[in-house]
Amino acid sequence: LIDALFQGLYLVLQWKAFAFMLLGIGLGFWVGLLPGLGGATTLALMLPFVYTMQPVEAFAFLLGMHAVVATTGDITSVLFGVPGEATTVATILDGYAMTKKGEAGRALGAALGSSLVGALVGAFALALAIPIVRPLVLTFGSPELFMLAIVGLAFIASLSGEGARGTLRGFLAGGLGLLFATVGQDPQAGVARFTFDTLYLWGGLDLVPVLVGIFAIPEIIDLGVRGTSIAGELPSGRLNKGAFEGLKDTFRHFGLTIRCSRIGTFIGIMPGLGGAVAQWMAYGHATQSARNAEERKGFGAGDVRGVLGPGAANNSKEGGSLIPTVAFGVPGSTSMAILLGGFVLLGLVPGPDMLTTYLPVTFSMAWTIVLANVITVAVSFLFLNRLARLTTVRGHLLIPVILVLVFVGSFTANNSYGDLIVTLVFGGVGYLMVLAGWPRSPFVLGLVLGKIAENYLYISVARYGAAWLARPFVLALFALALLVVLYPFIQARRRAAGGGAHA
Amino acid sequence: MRNTRALAAVLALGVFAPQYGQAQSSPYQGKTITIVVGYKPGGGYDATARLLARHLPDHIPGKPTVIVQNMPGANSLIAANHVYNIAKSDGLTIGTFNRNLPIAQLTNVAGVKFDMRKFAWIGSAASESTILVIRNDLPYTNFQEMKKSGKQIVIGATGPGANTYDFPLLVKEFLGVDLKIVSGYSSSSDIMLAIERKEADGRAGSYSSILPFIERKLVRPVIRARATEPGIERLPVDEDLAPTPRAKAIMALRSAPEVIGRPYVMPPGTPDALVKTLRAAFAKAIADPKLNAEAQKAKTDLNFVSGDEALKVINEVLTQPKDIVDELGKYIKFGS
Repeated sequence: LIDALFQGLYLVLQWKAFAFMLLGIGLGFWVGLLPGLGGATTLALMLPFVYTMQPVEAFAFLLGMHAVVATTGDITSVLFGVPGEATTVATILDGYAMTKKGEAGRALGAALGSSLVGALVGAFALALAIPIVRPLVLTFGSPELFMLAIVGLAFIASLSGEGARGTLRGFLAGGLGLLFATVGQDPQAGVARFTFDTLYLWGGLDLVPVLVGIFAIPEIIDLGVRGTSIAGELPSGRLNKGAFEGLKDTFRHFGLTIRCSRIGTFIGIMPGLGGAVAQWMAYGHATQSARNAEERKGFGAGDVRGVLGPGAANNSKEGGSLIPTVAFGVPGSTSMAILLGGFVLLGLVPGPDMLTTYLPVTFSMAWTIVLANVITVAVSFLFLNRLARLTTVRGHLLIPVILVLVFVGSFTANNSYGDLIVTLVFGGVGYLMVLAGWPRSPFVLGLVLGKIAENYLYISVARYGAAWLARPFVLALFALALLVVLYPFIQARRRAAGGGAHA
Repeated sequence: MRNTRALAAVLALGVFAPQYGQAQSSPYQGKTITIVVGYKPGGGYDATARLLARHLPDHIPGKPTVIVQNMPGANSLIAANHVYNIAKSDGLTIGTFNRNLPIAQLTNVAGVKFDMRKFAWIGSAASESTILVIRNDLPYTNFQEMKKSGKQIVIGATGPGANTYDFPLLVKEFLGVDLKIVSGYSSSSDIMLAIERKEADGRAGSYSSILPFIERKLVRPVIRARATEPGIERLPVDEDLAPTPRAKAIMALRSAPEVIGRPYVMPPGTPDALVKTLRAAFAKAIADPKLNAEAQKAKTDLNFVSGDEALKVINEVLTQPKDIVDELGKYIKFGS
């Protein structure tokens, strides 16, 4: 086993594979930075180039590219409040808030630091979990996946504002998200729901234009209204030293970073949950680490832990989602489905062989994820502080550039004008929500989980009748969901009690 | 070969003579042909189009550039409407769409703004053979045993309009097998996983995508639709077992588009000479060993069905009597 581990490393370090990996990293770097243009699409476009490559070279190229997308996607999210990827939206909440406080460097450092830790944990899991993944994935049937979606929705309690009113608003926003997730042709009867006789809406709302609209547009309006730079009129001295401070934050809250990495890995392993979910659960978990009411209020206003959580999770899930892809040939995400096409092209059959005959190749994938992230983070650190200075550029110079990127990014979803309209509409929705003090993240969580919850619930009931409710893992997950919902209240009570004792 | 190419070039020149005065230039010299795909990158339709785009230039006189443009949405209705109504008929736009569009037109799906018969048909690049498989550990080895057992069999499916759903539905309705179709799985590999964990007993799908799992002895095929390929010729065909002519007609109607599983068309009114040039180019590209080597690697099998043949199939589908169409509409919904 150890032999195979080092053989894997040796395979990646051969000059050809290494060169392809660097090429992949270079591509992934830009794909991540540019909003909209996603990792999955780019993988599909790059697939034809691997025909003539050896397996190790091909995966160094494809994975090298894919592994850094979430890392550099965080940069866009933090700097401009524009999601670089659908998987890096949650970093906006606190990352961009920090940027507005003039702490862009620190936020970026934290995002990159946690991304690196996340990637390492994910790769480590890939190397370790392979023997036990089969039983693990097979235990999670449709009923369990449905309950996992419910646990995800339960995190709304942590993503909402304080108090009963805040929680109510959070769950209402989540409900609205669920409702929007029903748009499009339903998979049971083939009925077109809420499509208003337009063809564009048949396939449902695309995540990218919605996310870009709801998060980026309000921030752009805000920037325009303020008439200053993103970081306001703060002295720029703090920007320059920030990056290493952020890196230190990663280790200051190392436990949290590791826990969120594990959440990401787990969600990644579960096929069918999709990559956009992990970040929100991790963010929800990060907010739970607030020790008192003051700290809880700090989330969303620029708490570095709100950057570390999703930053770690959106990277660790890549290693996680490789696990079922390699072990079963069942992709854990859209990107992995395309990567699976790469396996077939290269004559590799996912399954037991990947764990025996081709074990070095499998390990070389884990090494690629590690190396690609180490290189990206190291290179990024070289000019992170310069990037942070972009936030001192006056708004009216920056806004046109950001707007172009936002709309081009949205347009890449379907190459349709409908994408632009959706961006504008949800930009309006997002702006109103910010204005009225409604949290946006529960809405997004509802939207992301809606289809998953609906389908798996239908399958569970159709397949098992009511019997699925009694499955042990379903009950365990239900208890977990309850705990997650009640956690903020338990915490509040404990705080009150604790405060009393100290006084 | 050379002769047809020269002939095509001469024919094409006849049309474009005023624009392309030079005797040796071809209408495609220095041009860019766009293949409009009705889906996002990553799926089978897209992969086939990209494979063709790489090899077609070698077989078109004048060596034009061929690029792929994805125009996803509404199960490729958007792309079909675009190629039919908006794209210029100058021979520079090719469309490839959902094979079930004829069914959409037949059942009057809202949003259809084209007549499949009026496209300038290049042909189809591959056929799709749909089969139904069941888990290997079930006690039935063939269709008859499965039917006789009288036991309910759970079939995992994606949703109406896909062959994972429509094919077993007709088997259930007309062939008297107790199938329970559970739809909502996000992809066919998701169904495969459900089969592994015994949540589902079987599924329908294209032979090529299920083959690895047959080889792994996870599932075994029991029945197929009309279109076939080496390896499954001897499976029973659903149409042959149909109890009534009406049932047979409906099954035939469902499977007809699968014979032209990767349809390629150009806008109506595209000059005949250019259509002929491209038909010849497709035929030669799909016979090209270089292309086949790549297709082999991707585990896809291309075979060209010419435009005339394709049109025959389309006409067969679109000239069905109204009562058959109404009955079909009860079972088959246009979708993915």
